[in-house]
Amino acid sequence: MDSEDRNQPTKLCFVTVGATASFLSLLLSVLDSKFLEALSQSGYTHLLVQYGKDGQIIYENFLVKYPAGSPGRHGIEIGGFDFNQAGLGEVMRMTKENKSEGRSSGMIISHAGSGSILEALRLSVPLVVVPNPLLKDNHQAELANELQKQGYVVASHHDDISNAVEKAEALRSRMLTWPPVRGPSQRRHRTLNEVLADEMGFSD
Amino acid sequence: MFSMLRRMPLDPSMYTYRTYVVSAGDNFSAAKAVEFEGSLLNRNHKAKEQGKKNNQPRDASTSDLGAVDHYTIVTVPRARRVHQSYVTAPFSTLHCFWACLRVLRGLHPDQNPLPRFIHSPYPDIILTNGPATAVCVILAAKTLRLVHYLLSIFPFGTPAGRKAEPRLTWDGQAPLDFQLRTIFVESWARVTTLSLSGKLLLPFVDRLLVQWPALEGKVAWKGMRKTEYVGALVA
Repeated sequence: MDSEDRNQPTKLCFVTVGATASFLSLLLSVLDSKFLEALSQSGYTHLLVQYGKDGQIIYENFLVKYPAGSPGRHGIEIGGFDFNQAGLGEVMRMTKENKSEGRSSGMIISHAGSGSILEALRLSVPLVVVPNPLLKDNHQAELANELQKQGYVVASHHDDISNAVEKAEALRSRMLTWPPVRGPSQRRHRTLNEVLADEMGFSD
Repeated sequence: MFSMLRRMPLDPSMYTYRTYVVSAGDNFSAAKAVEFEGSLLNRNHKAKEQGKKNNQPRDASTSDLGAVDHYTIVTVPRARRVHQSYVTAPFSTLHCFWACLRVLRGLHPDQNPLPRFIHSPYPDIILTNGPATAVCVILAAKTLRLVHYLLSIFPFGTPAGRKAEPRLTWDGQAPLDFQLRTIFVESWARVTTLSLSGKLLLPFVDRLLVQWPALEGKVAWKGMRKTEYVGALVA
């Protein structure tokens, strides 16, 4: 493993736990030695965590416990922030491949909020979706599972996140582009424009 | 909503006047509406430039579509604020419903006088995807339609001997300036079950559109219009 090689391109894993609901179990899972080891084994160099409004203590405790360079980090550089008012689009784009800046394609791990999922899907970077089990009326898991079934994302439980790294790497080669293309195999359905025109009584 | 309209794409020469209803405190959505209208204007300018280059005279009536006086943003009170008690929620919901009624009749204080080419304050079509406010708007539209229908059967206040102004056209359809057709788009996040708003609106709304195939064909009761699958609109 040539992780010491200075010329190695950077490879970023970005984690977002969301801004509205607290999701400490996901934060604890990604700040875990087992997960960092899995990252390092898949060639990752950086981890960036959006830890949410009440995740700061956990994040700072981790920094104290594993200072930069300690073996528990498995050579991964780690950064974090609470949340970004302007949205995560800019940060998420840093996981995209950029040869001139020496970046290879990374991955995104996201809570199952639809806004974050859509934002990540549009980038065509492997995405791991982790539903928050604390949310009532949990339809988030349904969304994650359906997207996994269709081949867009990896759905994972937060406890199993270190195994999801390898699955995300496997997804990279066979992942479908978003938005879905309407192929000949798919059933034809109406478009929003057609429904509106229909209701308006436009005939064309 | 705006990613849907952008992808649709919304043609301002067909949907000539646009009213955006946002909930109180939702400055983000209001800013998005301004941004979206800006993009319509931009696109129109580009089309005009193109037209000039090709020496195609453009119809004067379509030349300024997307200009500021072709849309308005109206703020209505929230039906229920986050964490608001369920005891007071019915009152705030009524408050929201009342504001929606005023918007649909063109009487809300946020509304500017309509441009001359618009003949009726009533919208032709109402497109919603939000939660509680969407329920209020659609039920308000339905209420107006019901009142309108009842008045057409029982013409109160018309002097005896004078025939009531026909409120329905010959085939029993609502007149062209009183359409108020309603469309509710279920959230992309709902894969196999409708949201509470969706369940509440299913018996009332004219079209209920869903973004996942498993939700297609749901009906409030037998014989009513089914939900329609339209693919992922937010992509």
